Amino acid sequence: MASDLLSIAASGARAARSALDVTAQNIANASSDGYVRRSLRIEEVSASGGAGRIGDISLSGARVAEIRRNADAFLQGEVRRTSGDLQRANVELSGLQNMESALEQSGVFTAVVEFEAVLQQLSSDPVDPSRRAAVVAEASTLANKFNITASGFDAVGDGLRFDAEAEVNDANIIGAELARVNLRLTRAGSGSSDRAALLDQRDQLLERLGGFSSLTTSFAADGTVAVSLGSNPPRSFVQGGTAGTLTSATAADGTLSFAVDGQAMTPGSGSLEGASLALTELASLRQRLDTVAAGIADTVNNAQAAGVALDGTQGQPIFAGTTAGTLRVVMTGGAGLATAPAGAAAGSRDDSNLNALRQSLTALDPAQQLNGVLFDVSSKVAGRAVTQSALDTIATSARISLEQQSGVDLDTEAANLIRFQQAFQASGRAMQAASDIFDTLLGIGR
Amino acid sequence: MINLSTGAFYERSTSQIGTLRAKAESLQQQIGTGERLERSSDDPVAAARLRMLARNERISTVDTRNSELAEADLTLTDETLGSIADVVVRVRELAVQAASSTLSDAQRSVIGTEVASLRDNLVLLANSRNISGHALLGGQASGAAYADNGNGIEFVGSGALTPVEIGEGQSVMPGLTGPEVFEFDTANGATDLFAVLGNFAAALSAGGDAAAQASSAVLSDLDAGLEKVTTAQTVIGSRLNWVDLMSERREINSERVADERTQVGGADIAVAMSRLQETLTVLEASQASFVRLANLSLFSMLR
Repeated sequence: MASDLLSIAASGARAARSALDVTAQNIANASSDGYVRRSLRIEEVSASGGAGRIGDISLSGARVAEIRRNADAFLQGEVRRTSGDLQRANVELSGLQNMESALEQSGVFTAVVEFEAVLQQLSSDPVDPSRRAAVVAEASTLANKFNITASGFDAVGDGLRFDAEAEVNDANIIGAELARVNLRLTRAGSGSSDRAALLDQRDQLLERLGGFSSLTTSFAADGTVAVSLGSNPPRSFVQGGTAGTLTSATAADGTLSFAVDGQAMTPGSGSLEGASLALTELASLRQRLDTVAAGIADTVNNAQAAGVALDGTQGQPIFAGTTAGTLRVVMTGGAGLATAPAGAAAGSRDDSNLNALRQSLTALDPAQQLNGVLFDVSSKVAGRAVTQSALDTIATSARISLEQQSGVDLDTEAANLIRFQQAFQASGRAMQAASDIFDTLLGIGR
Repeated sequence: MINLSTGAFYERSTSQIGTLRAKAESLQQQIGTGERLERSSDDPVAAARLRMLARNERISTVDTRNSELAEADLTLTDETLGSIADVVVRVRELAVQAASSTLSDAQRSVIGTEVASLRDNLVLLANSRNISGHALLGGQASGAAYADNGNGIEFVGSGALTPVEIGEGQSVMPGLTGPEVFEFDTANGATDLFAVLGNFAAALSAGGDAAAQASSAVLSDLDAGLEKVTTAQTVIGSRLNWVDLMSERREINSERVADERTQVGGADIAVAMSRLQETLTVLEASQASFVRLANLSLFSMLR
């Protein structure tokens, strides 16, 4: 006899049990991060009859052929790519927003306007001590606001660099982890549940790494992955069981550069690229703010030198420092303001030097310059916000299509649960039948 | 078969509801603050325009302040000129009186004393101060405009005035200098009111025929002086008109600026309210349908 009803039924019950286990595993992991829905492939076990017994029924039941991981490499690649782009946009946008806040909330524009206003107010009575004092007070407010903006920019830069450095560390840890997963994948049996879990882990690590920088991946048949970081050109990062080292370096102007194993690397996308772009923007913004601050200091101090103070002596500088961060007021009292032209008597109400100062300030127009800087930053923020929301939509839809393809649908699992439960019960009935047949045979001749 | 992943359903639902909530909150903020722009990047062009409008408004308040000061100075000058004219008119009355041949030397001497004291009044008037405490007619100098140098009253101020800006690049001279009020030409060359009054008082106290002659002779000088003072009053009056005109313009301008501010940066409450209502309706519907859909699981059917 080539077939054994009991063992066929037992193998069916075993297969149904395995299918129920897989279903339960899917349900349990319905909301696990990076979990890809498993499905079972069950195949028939059969053998041909021996020599001369070809007509015999020769059936051996069913067995679990493979635990399949329903992952789509293309969709996963899309999720990595789009989430990298989104990360880049997020980091750049939040950096720019912080710069905008630093510039806008410090009120440096208002302070420049106030300074213009008190100078104009002084012109109606250039010897009035309270108006003179107001000019000096407003000048020091102006210097303070420039300092506050500069330290706000410092904080934005520090934050961006701190995050980027933490991410570089993370990327190195992920690289080492990927190398370990690669090693374990070479040892895992094909189609095993262990292998499926490793592949889950591999894809999850790749996705996290893709959030930092653009990736070039190539997958081997055994599931191991070789990863290169960056673009133009990509630098090899993980190869088999070995991982490279990602490093970052800060330039004098605060911008970041990256290298893999000492070779310069451009991230291309991901949060590292975002940080790099935001820091470049910050450096140019700082430069523009410094130019405005230095321009105001120069214009005011030059005009001061051309006139005489209230006591008839040559005007002394009001401001010291040449950058937004170092601008400060060195004049101690309003009497030092050189409103009168050179040669005027002490206490003169002649305001022609004050007028000259106001005219050169109007020509420099720091308020308009700052307005321009603010406009540039805010329009960049607005533009990036549009890009970011578009990338967000793209990344979300890529993720949703991946989840639809690889995620767990509880309704399907509920149906599977019933289906495999019934299969199990049916195999149990078959075993019952085998037992009945055996009893019948035993009962013959009683 | 499309696999409707449970995770994807929750992710999509939460992101949709989150977007709606964020939209409702932004509308709520617009209604609460009355400002359409929360930060510059909400509308960079409008924000830049708003900043420049705010700057104009700020400068315009200084213009208003300056123009008020100029107006006060001009009004003070006008009043002072009125008092000066009164003094000159009084001296002219006295001169007419003194010219009468019926008066005795003693009576002329009394008139001379009054003229001398009127001259002292004139010096005080010439040195009156503006509201900042500077000599009203002293030009750019700080301190007195006229001083007694021992042999007469002399102008010690400066001959130039500082114009005051009153907006839109316009300015006004907030007063006059002493020479513009007191100095004038007569048939006998340039002189000023102080000298005329001083000499007249001296001639009256000296007495004799010369006193009566001086009384008739001084009349033409006084007329010329009075004309100079009234001319100065006319100038001040026209400057006051100019300041008034510019104040009106500034007011109209500030209304225009305020109007533009509302147009560029103000929230349209009616639109914002109805959009908020719309968003809230959609939000409530999505929340209700989310709960219904989330409960719709095959597991709840299994017994």
